[in-house]
Amino acid sequence: MVERRDGKIWVDGLTTQFTGQSLSSLDLIESERDHPTRPVLPDLWVVKVGGQSIMDRGASAVNPIVEQIVAARKAGQQILVGTGGGTRARHAYAIGLDLGMPTAMLARIGGSVPVQNARMLQMMTAKDGGIMCYPDDFEKLPLYLQLGTLPIMSGMPPFEFWEKAPEIGRIPANRTDAGVYLIAEFFGAKGVLFVKDEDGLYTDDPKKNTNATFIPEIAARELLDGGQDDLVVERAVLEYLERAKSVKEIRVLNGLVDGNVTRALRGENVGTVIRASTA
Amino acid sequence: MTEDTTAGKLITGDGRTHVGSGLMRESLVSAKLIAETDAGEIRPMVPDITMIAIGGSSIMDRGAEAVLPLTDEIAALNREGYKFILGVGGGARSRHTLAIGLDLGLPLGGLARIVGGVEEQNRDMLQFLLAPHGAVTLIKDHFQDLQLFLSRGMIPVCIGQPPYHFWEPPPKDGRLPENGSDVGLFLMAEIVGAPTMVFVKDVDGVYDEDPRKNPNATRFETISAAELLERNLRDLPVEREVLRCLENSRLLTSIVVINGREPKQLRDFLEGKPVGTRIHNRRYAETEG
Repeated sequence: MVERRDGKIWVDGLTTQFTGQSLSSLDLIESERDHPTRPVLPDLWVVKVGGQSIMDRGASAVNPIVEQIVAARKAGQQILVGTGGGTRARHAYAIGLDLGMPTAMLARIGGSVPVQNARMLQMMTAKDGGIMCYPDDFEKLPLYLQLGTLPIMSGMPPFEFWEKAPEIGRIPANRTDAGVYLIAEFFGAKGVLFVKDEDGLYTDDPKKNTNATFIPEIAARELLDGGQDDLVVERAVLEYLERAKSVKEIRVLNGLVDGNVTRALRGENVGTVIRASTA
Repeated sequence: MTEDTTAGKLITGDGRTHVGSGLMRESLVSAKLIAETDAGEIRPMVPDITMIAIGGSSIMDRGAEAVLPLTDEIAALNREGYKFILGVGGGARSRHTLAIGLDLGLPLGGLARIVGGVEEQNRDMLQFLLAPHGAVTLIKDHFQDLQLFLSRGMIPVCIGQPPYHFWEPPPKDGRLPENGSDVGLFLMAEIVGAPTMVFVKDVDGVYDEDPRKNPNATRFETISAAELLERNLRDLPVEREVLRCLENSRLLTSIVVINGREPKQLRDFLEGKPVGTRIHNRRYAETEG
């Protein structure tokens, strides 16, 4: 005769603090809120190379950044590189929107371009250990790092058809900034660098407004509440930063300034630091 | 066929050309640009299909006494020509996984990565039971082969957990993934473009209080997701995040929670009869009206 508990088939040892509770139960959520988190790869730097801001500029922007990353890697830094999409992703979104496609479909097609960019970086760095790292490869990352390789991934999170419709509009809220940030948060990474083509954060888009002033350090919450039309990183990253358990700050820097990536990987602050308001 | 008459209207929304040109030079982070992409109709992918979400704890963990009457009904409905995807949650073993993982200090994304393993067991059990009636497993990489399965009268069976894995976004509260199997199946239903979906649980719907603790609790026949979120009930038969997803979803404008221990409720749902609790978003009235 099979053992039962509340009508469900049961075995010894299956009972935990979650037994009999739905995972939506507020009692359950509140009781586990402050449970500690063990870092997975605490020495890892996660470096995002922007799509439109860096990759689409070609060799003049990409080469110096790649050289700095490779040099830091050879000097022993653990680095995971993620790529943005850029112009071709925007073009695909524009066509997809015109064709009446939902958010999740846009997320699916938007994922192809950062993969192209990651492959470009992999080819450029192959002689120095550059390898492609797909979502299914992440459990082998310790091996790749110990072998001295430079893993390169698409920045896009693997949500694809499961990307949620945003409150407003149809553009996927989780794109390459969010993907890079989330994987860094999972690893409990040492730091996350967003290598873009601006010195960091400004009060407005400096490409359009010459009176925009530089912000060296700011809380994510403040940025979210600030009502700026445009931001240097995806809004989702700011939301996640505020809720994060491990990685409570990100750094945005200008990769077009030679030496910035090297300095940032030494821990120097060369752009804007965006922190969780609790950090 | 109703979908044919609406199909012509689907691409006639305003603002699309403007969006197309705007995207080329603007940052995708711009709030203005994002708002502009709100306009225009959205096409469904496989609209004449129903997503049936089968509870892990509420159905699967009860074993034969709950599962077999339900799979019998599902097989009969499939023979009658209803097209659906069956999705399934994890149940008691998911909770055990989370409890152990949490105790080990695994980060959120780690918990999200491992919890789906239990659902695969449940999916395989359902597929086995329904294999004589044409059940096949549907995995993420074959999502776009859905029409192949459906055109042959097959019953695709999949897990619920969305493939967020290590990328699971931090929850609005707490330390556990807020995107579970209910969310994953909801999002699949939204991308296929089904106007409604059904959650097969072991209660007759959503009540104003826990019916197991208070026998006088009243069941909602229909309620909006916004109102249900506002009520902030201590517990819900579907994941709270499903309600937030429903608030924003475009094509899937309502979900229905039914009791799978009375398999006839599933038939009633597919025949369009009022059953269980219907939870809807603000777009529901537009689509029904």
